[in-house]
Amino acid sequence: MAGVSVHKVAKHGGNPLLRAIGFLSSLCGIFAAGMIVIAVGITCQMIWVRFVLNQSTVWQTEAVVYMMVAATLIGIPYVQRLRGHVNVDLFPLALPIRLRKALAILTLATTIAIAGIMVVYGFELWHVAWSRGWTSDTVWAPKLWVPYLALPVGFGLFMLQLIADLVATIFDIEAPFSIEDEQTPDSAPIAGAD
Amino acid sequence: MDPLLLGGIVAIVTILILFSGVSVAVGLLIVAALFLVTFDGMRSLELMPEIFFGKLDNFALLSIPMFIIMGAAIASTRAGADLYEALERWLTRVPGGLVISNLGACALFAAMSGSSPATCAAIGKMGIPEMRRRGYPDGVAAGSIAAGGTLGILIPPSVTMIVYGIATETSIGRLFLAGVIPGLLLVGLFMAWSLYDTWRKGGESVVLAKISYTWKEKFEILPRVLPFIGIILGVLYALYGGVATPSETAAVGALMCLLVAIVIYRLWNPMDLWVVLRDSTRESVMILFIIGAAGVFSYMLSSLFITQSIAQYIGTLDVNPWVLMGAVNLFLLVAGFFLPPVAVILMAAPILLPIVTQAGFDPYWFAVVLTINMEIGLISPPVGLNLYVINGIAPDIKLKTILWGSLPYVGCMVVAILLLCIFPGLATWLPDMIMGPVL
Repeated sequence: MAGVSVHKVAKHGGNPLLRAIGFLSSLCGIFAAGMIVIAVGITCQMIWVRFVLNQSTVWQTEAVVYMMVAATLIGIPYVQRLRGHVNVDLFPLALPIRLRKALAILTLATTIAIAGIMVVYGFELWHVAWSRGWTSDTVWAPKLWVPYLALPVGFGLFMLQLIADLVATIFDIEAPFSIEDEQTPDSAPIAGAD
Repeated sequence: MDPLLLGGIVAIVTILILFSGVSVAVGLLIVAALFLVTFDGMRSLELMPEIFFGKLDNFALLSIPMFIIMGAAIASTRAGADLYEALERWLTRVPGGLVISNLGACALFAAMSGSSPATCAAIGKMGIPEMRRRGYPDGVAAGSIAAGGTLGILIPPSVTMIVYGIATETSIGRLFLAGVIPGLLLVGLFMAWSLYDTWRKGGESVVLAKISYTWKEKFEILPRVLPFIGIILGVLYALYGGVATPSETAAVGALMCLLVAIVIYRLWNPMDLWVVLRDSTRESVMILFIIGAAGVFSYMLSSLFITQSIAQYIGTLDVNPWVLMGAVNLFLLVAGFFLPPVAVILMAAPILLPIVTQAGFDPYWFAVVLTINMEIGLISPPVGLNLYVINGIAPDIKLKTILWGSLPYVGCMVVAILLLCIFPGLATWLPDMIMGPVL
């Protein structure tokens, strides 16, 4: 899956605010990678407990799933910063630069709106789980507000990175859709990635 | 509104939104939100985060980041080059041994990394210059590697198959097995074409040329490739020996691959390790985000009765199942030209599977056919990622030559699909034999 990298990163053009948001997104990436590594460790420990020590496991399965969900949600802004979310950019590529910029602004604004919806209703879900003390239906029964917290936080940080991208596009700090005029094969769309 | 008409409108709107350049995951969320608000009112939006979370709250999904780490750890080392060299040294006496070594290395590396572009890059970096140096035509050198790279999504363990298994609630272990024989069939077809094409272009001496290696040279390379092959075999044994679930075996595989990369390939530098983790995180989050969004999209289709109506409508049509399969293949082929396999599977499989199974086709057989269609998309314009990867590692070969060199391999894939249609047992025999028939 990995191995072939299209190394694009959101540009900040020296703007301290955009740079700070980029830094925050990078921290999200480190958090997400850390969650995945811990999930690997816990899963291996679970196999050890079950197959070598012949004991039953209580919390591991649920914990690793919640870690993976957290890694996904908190990782979304980081992947946005790395321009790693696949898209079909054939139509934007075919447009003249002004129209391409207008389309980029429109798609970014729409993406911000959808992220906003996820933040608002994600927060509502988290709040209900927190105020009513919801727990999962397992022996471990962890409080559900903890994993649900990743929803508003992840989408909120995603929104922040998107706003930074929108600003960078409007003020020509970054090319629309990160498509440079002289596109090289290396920066070709990665929409075939499996 | 008639659900079928609504389904048509949803399809058109989805295509328009995805072609606007918005990311696939966000595009699916936008379409879902748009139709939920229009037909179910504003309050239906409050379900979106819960459905998104619920879709990801699945232990089987853990296998995706784990297998991706496994592949990234392998791809970060010299394993691809070692594999290629090992096969080259051992197959040197076979006519056309070099191209066979390349395609064999592609198949093995694909099995280890599960990634098409990573396979192209790892084997192609060594294989393409060597094939050209020994007189193989540029089209064969580039085309064989581009096509060989696509095996990554068919030969197990394949992330594409895992996603199909999750989207359609079919057995991932059985899907992996279903991909084995068709994968080997494709390798065989690719090899046969490469040799024939080289031969017909006057490359008889090229095909028959042999370089001799001493036994010492043959044996000294084995310790470098055996650990990874051992891990893959161990993972497959754990999976089919009933020792652990796909997610658990993938986690152990990921840990082992990281350890081998650190110990044998001396991946000491923390920055190198971070690159492995960064690439894995980026790839995993991208796929899991699409999975969560596709869950919301599927909910919208289902709540508006679109999925059920399409399946019902197709059921009432008096159409030959093979005509139906032809139409499904055409749709998948076109979708695969523009969208990544994961997105096509997540959007199409839940809708297509009931139709296909109702027409009497096996879901595991269908998974293989679908995956080969996706492979075609990887080496066909306009997106054809592997073509660009080859262009990146061999910039002096024109993109046009790479494209024309790859086209016959697309033909091989079409032949493979036809063979699978005539002999469905190619996909179903192995899983039935090892795991028993589907109940």
